[in-house]
Amino acid sequence: MLVSALSCHRKQEQIPVEAFFNAQVSNFHISPNGKYISYFKRDKKKQTLILRNIATGVEDTSVIDQGSRGDHFWTYNNQIVITKYSRKRGGFQLSAIDAATLKTRTLLSIDNERVSFRLLGRSVKHPDILTFIMNQRDSTILDVYRLNITTGELKMYIKNPGNVTQFYTDPDGGIRLEKSSDGVNETILYRQNDNSDFKPILSNNFKNLVEPIAFTGVGNYFYAKSNVNRDKIALVDINADNAKEEKVIFSSDKADIDEVSYSKYKQRLEMVTWQEAKPKRHILDARMNAIYADLEQQLPGDEIRISDRDTTEQNFLINTSSDRNPGSTYLYTAGSKKLVKLADMNPGINQGDLCEMKPISFKAGDGTLINGYLTYPKNTDSVNLPVVVMPHSDFWNRNKWGYNAEVQFLANRGYAVFQVNYRGSTGYGKEFYSAGFKQVGGKMQDDITDGVEWLIAQKIANPKKIAIFGSRFGGFSALYGASFHQSLYACVAVQSPLLNMFTYFSDVPPFLKPKLSMLYEMVGNPETDADQFRAISPIFNANKIKVPLIVFPGPRELNANELATFISEVKKNGVHVTDISGKKNNDSNFLPREHRLDMYKDLEKFLETNLGQK
Amino acid sequence: MTKQKYIYRKNLLLIIAFIVLLSGILAAALLITFGLTRKFVESEFSTRTIAVMERTMRPYDDLFRNKIPEINNYRGFFTKKSASEYADSVFSDYPFVKRVDFYHFTISNHTNGHSAKAEGKDIAISSAYHFSPDSGGKIKSSPNVEAKSSDDFKLMKAKVGGFIKTADTSRLYSVEETYGISYDIKPGKISYLNIPRLEELKDLLSNTSTLSVYQHDMMTFYLDPNKLVIRNTRPELYQKISIKQIIYDPLQDDNDQNLFREIPLPGAFSEYKLYFQSSKAFITAEVIRNFLPIGAAVLVVYLFIVCIGWLIYRNLNVNHKLFKLQYDFINNFTHEFKTPVSVIKIAGSNLRNAETAITERQQRHYGKILDEEADKLNDLMNRLLSFTQLENKSIQIKKEEIVLDEFVQKYIDTFKIKYPKFKLTCRIKNVGSFESDPVLLGSIFQNMIENAYKYSPPDRKELNIDIEGTKKDIVFLFTDKGIGIPKNEIDNIFKKFYRIESQYNQNGSVGLGLAFCKELVNFMNGEISVKSKLNQGSEFKIVLPY
Repeated sequence: MLVSALSCHRKQEQIPVEAFFNAQVSNFHISPNGKYISYFKRDKKKQTLILRNIATGVEDTSVIDQGSRGDHFWTYNNQIVITKYSRKRGGFQLSAIDAATLKTRTLLSIDNERVSFRLLGRSVKHPDILTFIMNQRDSTILDVYRLNITTGELKMYIKNPGNVTQFYTDPDGGIRLEKSSDGVNETILYRQNDNSDFKPILSNNFKNLVEPIAFTGVGNYFYAKSNVNRDKIALVDINADNAKEEKVIFSSDKADIDEVSYSKYKQRLEMVTWQEAKPKRHILDARMNAIYADLEQQLPGDEIRISDRDTTEQNFLINTSSDRNPGSTYLYTAGSKKLVKLADMNPGINQGDLCEMKPISFKAGDGTLINGYLTYPKNTDSVNLPVVVMPHSDFWNRNKWGYNAEVQFLANRGYAVFQVNYRGSTGYGKEFYSAGFKQVGGKMQDDITDGVEWLIAQKIANPKKIAIFGSRFGGFSALYGASFHQSLYACVAVQSPLLNMFTYFSDVPPFLKPKLSMLYEMVGNPETDADQFRAISPIFNANKIKVPLIVFPGPRELNANELATFISEVKKNGVHVTDISGKKNNDSNFLPREHRLDMYKDLEKFLETNLGQK
Repeated sequence: MTKQKYIYRKNLLLIIAFIVLLSGILAAALLITFGLTRKFVESEFSTRTIAVMERTMRPYDDLFRNKIPEINNYRGFFTKKSASEYADSVFSDYPFVKRVDFYHFTISNHTNGHSAKAEGKDIAISSAYHFSPDSGGKIKSSPNVEAKSSDDFKLMKAKVGGFIKTADTSRLYSVEETYGISYDIKPGKISYLNIPRLEELKDLLSNTSTLSVYQHDMMTFYLDPNKLVIRNTRPELYQKISIKQIIYDPLQDDNDQNLFREIPLPGAFSEYKLYFQSSKAFITAEVIRNFLPIGAAVLVVYLFIVCIGWLIYRNLNVNHKLFKLQYDFINNFTHEFKTPVSVIKIAGSNLRNAETAITERQQRHYGKILDEEADKLNDLMNRLLSFTQLENKSIQIKKEEIVLDEFVQKYIDTFKIKYPKFKLTCRIKNVGSFESDPVLLGSIFQNMIENAYKYSPPDRKELNIDIEGTKKDIVFLFTDKGIGIPKNEIDNIFKKFYRIESQYNQNGSVGLGLAFCKELVNFMNGEISVKSKLNQGSEFKIVLPY
């Protein structure tokens, strides 16, 4: 009592919810000729494309649309191409703006809800040609198309036989490598040139990964990320002729290689990054090394990333961020080493008010080392804290060290936020990843539980004040925890939770159907593992929820009926259920900002009531 | 006297009328309550059937509302194994389900299928089984070869086909809206299928050439009403509850001895009804069981009223007696006053009408008469007055030292002069003197001595006074050899205005003496009691505290 009373006095000012979720500018790009910077600016619901002339500082604007979401990129002949997904109608539009004249023209307009579009490559030699994949022919199959943005001519470049999942482009947009999947096994296919046929060169179980990056320029060698015959993903060099791995260019014994930076324009490897407790990087190129060294000197303490550059590689856009920095964008000129700050992603937040995210690790019940992050609220003794456990919202993903608005918001409200990279999480190697297979509702959940018990044993957590909050898969984990470890959690909050493993499989979109067999192996087969699905799915276990529950809406609640059934079942247990899922159901793919703000306000109130923290 | 009689008769009549009325009310109340209880029990018999039905149908409701929709949660992923496990849990939880037919089917936008088309959408069974519990508690399953011609499936196919055709893909259908499509209730069976979800509908209805195939499940539950467990929540009302076909006519085998009621079962059991019956005797027993506490309550109220009536009657009686006493007293008293007054009157008129001058002897004689009679009147009035004062506690005790020896001797001397033949003796033991009011004590002595003289035959006029001091009190014993007091009168002699009817008190008695003495003794915090034997004498005992 005394401790909490004292900590109340020392407690910092609460940052308003709005301030956390207030990114106003995003998607910074620099034009290939280095003359313009383009970015999106959001004002209320309106999204505007801003085009800034670097030399003059003059900004031109172009309103994109209300209620849509998209991205933009530059072609090598300095056209801006905008992709736009309409929120309301579910349509897709591709348009181009000429940077010099600011003339807009529509390139593609597809009125299909299930449109999936991804840019594969821009060509240096033929800057008018865009290469991309789209599922226009068949919602389940992604074909490769080529679009001439000047003439508007759309041609199918490669017809997908149905099982190809990835295409890898050359700097000119040509495709010589692709990856196919029969659901369980992935095969890399190679062709010599556009006129020859693709031939399989190597095949792997999906637990292994071979991800081509680019041809090295020497023979038919290509760079790839691979963990074949090793646990952690490494950057290697593979001969396409015999599918042999020639050499390991870089590997870490701590973690999977995460990202490989490759300059398509200059055709060289620059850097590899990976996640340990904090992000790490290794620079493979001497010039980049010098640039990063200078940037590190100018921007100490932050994680630095080059996000875009012009073709001359004189002007760079730099992103910096950290656990307490939501992100800032700078313009760096290599020659003069001049660094100009363009914007803070979230100018309303003072970094000094935010909380430190500490990497932690503990031994799970069976001795496996599990990593995670713990964000302590500011100005408190690190004992007997109310804790919010946040399982990540995708089973096959991970929590990374860095700024997370949700985490910072909760920490600012006085809760320690606990994130566990339970087994199955990515980045820790093949073994750890596959240890999560068919462990949904098993070891994956045990790791979370073990983590919470470890927190209690360390006296960090107040055993009576632990909440669990998650969305989608995290919502599944939260409900599972509340159902099967009833005494551990004081309350549970979920957003659009996965309630039913059967539904999860029937929700798999058509174009992901080839991946079903893989999902069967990772999660289980709804037909043969029906017992297991029944045992772990919250919808079949609603009677076990005995603590207060709050349910938030997700973007486009497909399973509203299921959720409503679940909520009414939980209410039968005499449990207090705050159900705001139905009220703000919207049909768009993205949750509007005001709904998110309301959600966090409600979450704050809910936690305050049930954990007694103010 | 006539007035008295009149009052008395009137009372009796009233009492009789009162008793008759009360008894009438009692009888009526008992009859009415019995009748109402019977009505109540009979109406309970008909209204409580709903509660029995609700209780009996609870497992069915649970099956219908919770268990069956669980099929939807499987999202079309049922296999023979999981469906069999599901059916098994149904059989164990709901014994009235006798068979489950399971159809696994696909809905596709396939247009050239060989199966019947439902509005352009192809709905085809991929597998079908039926499950039934076997005797060993295990589940039996067999492929259902006639599945395609099954009416259940055809019907549901038509329903879902129609739904797909007319579905509005711009919104999400709620569970309530799709109820009619996902469920089909026929007498004896319930069919359920998981209807296509919004995403599927959009895909099926879009005009893409791609083949979309969605898996669905349908189950038909065959129900056996005879395996429903009847929950008789009111065994005291319903002797027998059974499930009968809806067309069963109770009048066929009714011999007018039974009370019956029927209520049709809901949903898939609508061909059956719950049939409640109880024999008349059974109902009567229940009526009596219900009536007993009410009857007892009526009786208690009746007894209470009777009790109050008796109390009122007793009070009236006491008042009547008191009235009579006072009436007697006035009679006596008037008489008592009359004698001296008439003597004075005679003496007065003699004196006035004397024609000759009266002699000195005559003058003395009249003077004495007047003096004596005036004293008598005075005495009478003093006694009445002091008695009233005493009753109203308006006199004060003036305590003085009394030497008993001298005090008693003074009275003995006085009475010996007054009644020369009176034999008075006195003995004093253990006590010399005590503190008391001599006037009050004197009055007691005077009354006691006077009474002893008055109520003794002429040959036995004797009184012995014993005075004895004990630790706390002084005991005065007045023992005479007089006429005594009959046993039945002993309780009355201390009452005001009460006189024993006897020859000894014809003159000069108002029935106040002993009552006066008792008041005095009580006033002095003492007690008075009497022991007596008829014709042998009485012994009055007065105990006074020091």
